[in-house]
Amino acid sequence: MTYLVAAAERRDLAAVREASPELWRQVRRYNLPVQLALAAAHEAGTHAENIETAALISLAPCQAGSPDLYRWGELVVSYSPGKRLGEVRVNPTHTLHAVDNLALSAFAIAHGNHVYGLGLGGAAGQAWCGLEAVLERLASGHETEALLMAGDQDSIERPGAGLGVALLFSRLPKPCAALGIMPHSRGKNVAPRRGGADKMSALHSVSKALPLGRLIKLIAVERQRQAEAHAVRPHAAAGVSELLAVMAQHRRGRLSYRVPVEHGDGVDQVTVVMERL
Amino acid sequence: MSSSRRVVVTGTGALSALGATTEDLWIGLLSGRSGVRRLPRFVAAGLNVTTGGEVDAAPGDDIDRDRKIAYRAIAAAMAEAGRDPAEAGFVWSTGLDTFQVGAAGFTHRAAGACFSALAAPFSSPRRMIATACASGTQAIGEAFRLIRAGQIDACVAGGSSVMLTPFYLIGFAGLQAIALDRDDENPSAACQPFDRRRRGFALADGAGALVLETLARAQQRDAVILAEVIGFGMSQDAFDLNRPPEDGAGAELCMRRALADAGLAPTDIHAVNAHGTGTFVGDLAEAAALRRLFGEAWKFIPVSSVKGAIGHAMAAAGALEAIVAIRTCATGIVPPTVNLNEPDAGCELDHVIGKPRATEARTVMSVSFGMGGQNAAVIFKRINF
Repeated sequence: MTYLVAAAERRDLAAVREASPELWRQVRRYNLPVQLALAAAHEAGTHAENIETAALISLAPCQAGSPDLYRWGELVVSYSPGKRLGEVRVNPTHTLHAVDNLALSAFAIAHGNHVYGLGLGGAAGQAWCGLEAVLERLASGHETEALLMAGDQDSIERPGAGLGVALLFSRLPKPCAALGIMPHSRGKNVAPRRGGADKMSALHSVSKALPLGRLIKLIAVERQRQAEAHAVRPHAAAGVSELLAVMAQHRRGRLSYRVPVEHGDGVDQVTVVMERL
Repeated sequence: MSSSRRVVVTGTGALSALGATTEDLWIGLLSGRSGVRRLPRFVAAGLNVTTGGEVDAAPGDDIDRDRKIAYRAIAAAMAEAGRDPAEAGFVWSTGLDTFQVGAAGFTHRAAGACFSALAAPFSSPRRMIATACASGTQAIGEAFRLIRAGQIDACVAGGSSVMLTPFYLIGFAGLQAIALDRDDENPSAACQPFDRRRRGFALADGAGALVLETLARAQQRDAVILAEVIGFGMSQDAFDLNRPPEDGAGAELCMRRALADAGLAPTDIHAVNAHGTGTFVGDLAEAAALRRLFGEAWKFIPVSSVKGAIGHAMAAAGALEAIVAIRTCATGIVPPTVNLNEPDAGCELDHVIGKPRATEARTVMSVSFGMGGQNAAVIFKRINF
């Protein structure tokens, strides 16, 4: 059996800077998606029995990159032919961002975790693959706990707002502590289309903690291939955030959460089956 | 283990600096040839790294280059296996590129778009693996586990990468991971795994695809079985973002886990397809890990790296190397590590130098160690009837 033990969301790094200077020191070198993922993961991870031995599953951002990175790209394109491109320098962290799922690596380093790590993501709908992987790892008996983390920004054209989310699961029944889950209605907590970052910003002010305090089971992730492809809004964290919001409002019993098509991969209709005891 | 859950490989497809087919890759390696070369566009740009393992199958400034290269490898693997995408899952690794610079200039284009386009015809699961240089090997390992666990009967696994651009060349130079140009050296010798003159890897593009399926289904179809997948292991260094611990502890751990998964002892491994990037610290750590894993037997277990010949194809590397390991399983032949002439102190292993070695190798381990510390190992075995 797989239980949701804790969940955390982060939209604002100001609180991290003020309240957790050590954590901020660890994450400040990264781009926004990784900072948000790590901030959420560190918070959810505090509820683990032993985070060093938890399976780590990390979703890379779909809206990847940073203002610095894009300035670099534009500089390269505009570079005059007479100049040597080799004179241009790249911040090494930008390179690592494009090679590695840095939230996974950084979290493992911070917590001395040598066990199973799975980097997923960069494509739409991988969050549900992440939940499937959680079920598989805990069912296999290799680990007792699994942490799923994701971070993304709202728009690659207008980076600056984003969302980090982390979910801690266990094979052992423990009441869920939900931290910083936003109480919003279904359909609103999604990454806006390009240029729609203001809508997301408007939601930030309503964030508050919602302690759940009950056993919550993750039972299954079901898939049904759709007859035709659907448009999606690639975002590593928004879909999971919306699932949490729905779960927070679900009072008792089984919940078959039909993932909105925009949070899917455009191919399958995904249903996440959970139960609140 | 139930025979229905034994997992075999029935198709491969490879695009590398040595050519556009698996055969090109294998023949090129056996001939000791390097496909790494000087690339005029990087010379014109005034970079201090102008060599790379370029794939000629798609123009360098084609924005859709990643998908085209990957598609060709996948199509070749599916054709060899005789399988249809609709009846197979898809576990694939790409980089996490965020833009491409093509003929039309700068274009935002996340790697996820390439993955989604490739994945659409396949059945679920469709998973995009992103664990840096370990991605390709982990993709194969995850597909293996899904099939063995009974969740799917067949899967295409592998990876593709098109990072041979100024951004990455400059970036990896900044990380001191890549071989800078030297006037006194043949460009094809830029990457020298385990050699005392090594100074980094040569960046490469590439794609490698494998079709995995149950042994039972393969036999039912009378498919040609290339090798059996018998073990997979994964670990995290938890040490540093761009270098491994000097003792290679994380690398050793993933190999031990793969052996345990396969129910093998270290000395049951007959050959190793090494990560062997040609970086100073990376090669030392890998050699230390292999020596500790094998004990005194390290002197008799041949080790070979393909990166001197094709460069480091990043997310595709593990898949291309797995394909080479499968060929070694099938033939017993271990290709030489191209550009390895004098193994460095600390890199002592039973290196295959200069020419291929004919062995009795039937069980081969292929390993990949990611820049952020993710390590993966997969074990293949020749299957005889």
